Amino acid sequence: MRIYSAASEETLRASKLLADWAGEGFLTQEQYQRLKRETVSELRTTNIFLRLILFLFTLISVCAAAALFLTVFVPHSWEQTNGIFLVIFAAVSYAAAELAASRGRLYRYGIEEALAVGSVGFLCVGMEFALFSGHPLLTASDAAHSLVPAAGAVFSLWIWRRFGLWYAFPAAMIFTIFLSGYWTQSDAAQRAIIAVFFVVGLICVAALRTRHRFDYLDDTYSLAEAFLWLGIYLAINLKLSPSNLPAGWWGWGGSGVAVSEYTRWFYWTTWVLIWVLPPVVLVRGIRLKDRFVIAAGAIAAVLTLVSNKPYLGWPRHTWDPMLLGILLTGVAWFLRRWLGRGPGGIRAGFTAARLSGKDKQWMGASSAVLGLVTPQSITPSPQTTSPEVRFGGGASGGGGAGGDY
Amino acid sequence: MTILARLEQWREQGAISPEQHSHLACLCRGELLSLFLELNLLLYAGVLAFVAGLGWTATTWSQQLGDVLVLAILSTIFVTCFWYCFSRAPAWTFAQTPAPNAAFDYVLYLGGLVWCIELAYLENRLHILSGQWDVYLLATAGFFFFLAYRFDNRFVLSLALSSLAGWFGLTISHWPSHQDAAYRLYALLYCLVVGFGGALLQRLGLKPHFFGTYLHIATNVLFWAVLSGVFEHEGYSLWFLVLLLACGVSLAWGLKRRQFAFVAYSAVYGYVGVSSMLIRNVSDFTFVLTYFVFTAVAMVVGLVVIARRFGRQA
Repeated sequence: MRIYSAASEETLRASKLLADWAGEGFLTQEQYQRLKRETVSELRTTNIFLRLILFLFTLISVCAAAALFLTVFVPHSWEQTNGIFLVIFAAVSYAAAELAASRGRLYRYGIEEALAVGSVGFLCVGMEFALFSGHPLLTASDAAHSLVPAAGAVFSLWIWRRFGLWYAFPAAMIFTIFLSGYWTQSDAAQRAIIAVFFVVGLICVAALRTRHRFDYLDDTYSLAEAFLWLGIYLAINLKLSPSNLPAGWWGWGGSGVAVSEYTRWFYWTTWVLIWVLPPVVLVRGIRLKDRFVIAAGAIAAVLTLVSNKPYLGWPRHTWDPMLLGILLTGVAWFLRRWLGRGPGGIRAGFTAARLSGKDKQWMGASSAVLGLVTPQSITPSPQTTSPEVRFGGGASGGGGAGGDY
Repeated sequence: MTILARLEQWREQGAISPEQHSHLACLCRGELLSLFLELNLLLYAGVLAFVAGLGWTATTWSQQLGDVLVLAILSTIFVTCFWYCFSRAPAWTFAQTPAPNAAFDYVLYLGGLVWCIELAYLENRLHILSGQWDVYLLATAGFFFFLAYRFDNRFVLSLALSSLAGWFGLTISHWPSHQDAAYRLYALLYCLVVGFGGALLQRLGLKPHFFGTYLHIATNVLFWAVLSGVFEHEGYSLWFLVLLLACGVSLAWGLKRRQFAFVAYSAVYGYVGVSSMLIRNVSDFTFVLTYFVFTAVAMVVGLVVIARRFGRQA
């Protein structure tokens, strides 16, 4: 089912791990150079920056080419005609992605990714135009309309499996969210349907990943499982995701359902679930030693703390973020000390020490970026200044603090 | 062949020692998991949430609590943070210095952010700094630069650079509404100061690993400033030439130093600028689409050539 052979992907994985280990000093440079020669893959890869811009420009060219074709060859045509052509473009784009990956041996190169992503977009828009031209979007009475998000979800899942593109999985989850909007107008029912879909997905992924615990597919399944846990959590947390999914998220019709319209048992069941789910996810992540699932559990735990007061109808206080901050730093400090005091700085297979050269790179890059961005977001807006800009008359309050505070 | 099988093979060949094999196989089997990144992220999020709550509380409750109490609390946190940092900091060196412990960098960052809140509070409530914002910003930037270099901290270096940008009159949030000539010139001046300052400090061997931060910030501000000139309706020719020059320099630097972020900057900013020049007065939709098809394909081809020659390694 995968377009790349397992041997190629394993070789590539080994090559990356070698670089990582050498960066952290687990291998000498001599060992690294020698072993590197044994892990040469025929797959063509590139670095993240070139990958991103190749993705961008490929997507621009594909979309512009489709629009140009429709403008030149079928001008003034009906939406149905355009829709049929867009479905054909989806097939062409997907075939090009297959060719780029199989013949060109492109692997996470940006080009084959943009072609695959473009094919999903063309398919959904094409089906919408071809089959439901003139129909309003997201009306619960039009169950057949759910074919479009269903096709999007299935095709995204296929691309995730076939090309191993991690972001195709959350894309499939987003398409799934739209499905329920066509089947019922009840917000509670929509949430329940979404949660059931994600739970089924979770069971499938959990069953599949046991066979790939130590191979190159483990990270793929781990990430998918983390997304599914987060998806389930967001679907059941009534205070985080807006009512009347997904219309409320996108502002399409649907004025939203008042919280009081949820049945009492449904409301309090979701409250219990948002407290139960984070520890369950965390325990599973810790048992599997799965970084992504642990992260999903930690995010869900923080979101539960943030949304608990609104759930209970208690007023928020200005010092709530301070308490949350103290809790987070306290947990981090306690964990680090607890792990550090274990034999060799290890407890139950966990350590606070750095084991990967990549972690160091991430820390360096993110500290500079986050240090720049965060003061802008945590402090109030700067005062209104005169339109005339004066040298030395900065309106920003150093480190982003507002001039008028 | 899985990585575990490879490790076994390498051990048998003598390419790695049994100890290395044991350690690396342990990592591959997931028997040992590092929470280094996660714990750092928790610390960062904790500091951020705490400071946000502190600022919110100070502004909301200043009248009830009284200025003296608020300032006393802020000063206590600020002084405690810096006492902690100065008392535990290792001896200063020109080279990169690791923090003495995991929390150190975040305590320093907390101190820096609380300092910002305290000064902003003083200005808002007591107007002590009235009319002196430029001096405050410059002094704050200087203070943060000192802290960044003393404690080797990129978080605080970024605070220093954003404070300096504030002194030049630049804020990210105000950029779209201030695309006038004066604003652009200050942005260029800021780029020159940051770029040359960073280069000079690197040449002097003073925390040379900070140079990348200076260069990325200066490059992005430069491209934004030049692009805003290219988007002008009049007098944009000079800015267009400057854009081409900047793209060339950024591309050459990125390829020479294998820093592909600069290749990406030159490709994206350059494409946006050149496209705006070429199709700004074109109303024919077909021509515009044709332009995007051919130029985007040309960009892809050019980037593939670059990727195959220079950018294979991640």
